[in-house]
Amino acid sequence: MSEHDSKESGGRSEGAGGKRTFFKRRKSCPFTGPNARLIDWKDVRMLNRFISERGKIMPSRITSVSTKKQRELSQAIKRARYMALLSATKQEQESRSWDSRKG
Amino acid sequence: MPYYETVFIARQELTSKQVEELTDGFVKMIKDGGGKVAKTEQWGLRTLAYRINKNRKGHYVLIETDTPSAALLEMERQMRIHEDVLRHMSVRLEELSKTPSPLIDKSGRDEDNNKEEAA
Repeated sequence: MSEHDSKESGGRSEGAGGKRTFFKRRKSCPFTGPNARLIDWKDVRMLNRFISERGKIMPSRITSVSTKKQRELSQAIKRARYMALLSATKQEQESRSWDSRKG
Repeated sequence: MPYYETVFIARQELTSKQVEELTDGFVKMIKDGGGKVAKTEQWGLRTLAYRINKNRKGHYVLIETDTPSAALLEMERQMRIHEDVLRHMSVRLEELSKTPSPLIDKSGRDEDNNKEEAA
C-alpha cells in the first residue's frame, strides 16, 4: 500500500525520495560545468538558441540558464543587436493568427 | 595594458581593399598611441539585421588590441568622425582570444551545434 502511495505522489512532489527517474530530470545550465560554452556576443548561432521567434530573449526558466549566466547572455544578445548581428524584432509569420499570441 | 576588442561596420560601397586600408588606418592610430594590435579579422560583407543609415549591408571588421585607453578613445573618436564607419563598438576583454571568432570560424563547433539542435 505504502509503495502505491509513494508512486502516485512521487511524480509531482519535490522531496519525497529518490525514486522519480522519469519525471524530475532538471536540465542543467548550458554555460556551467566542465564542457560549458563561452558566452560571446559574436557567436550569433549560439545566441539564436536563446531567442524566441519574435526576437525576444528567452526566459531562463525555459532555457535553464543560471541567473548569473543569464545576465551575461542578455548582455551578449544586446551587444549583438547593437551591431546588427541580431534584430531586436522580427516579423511574425502570416500564418500565425492574431489571438494565439499576446504582446 | 588592458585588452579590448573593437568591431566596426563600414559602408557597403567600399571595396574590400578600401576596407583594409581603413582598418590599417585605425591600427596605425593604436600603434601611434603606444598600443599593440593582437589581430584583425575581416568578416567580409554581411547583411545587417536591420537598416543602419539606410544601409542593408556592411563590411565587418574586428580589431583586438592591447592598448592604453587613451589610444582606444582616440580611435573611437576617429571612427565617429569617419563617414564610412556606420557603427562601432569596443568591449573590454579579460584575455585575448586564441581562436578566430565564431562568426568566421565555420568548422567544428558550429556543426556540433547543428547536431544538438536537430536532436
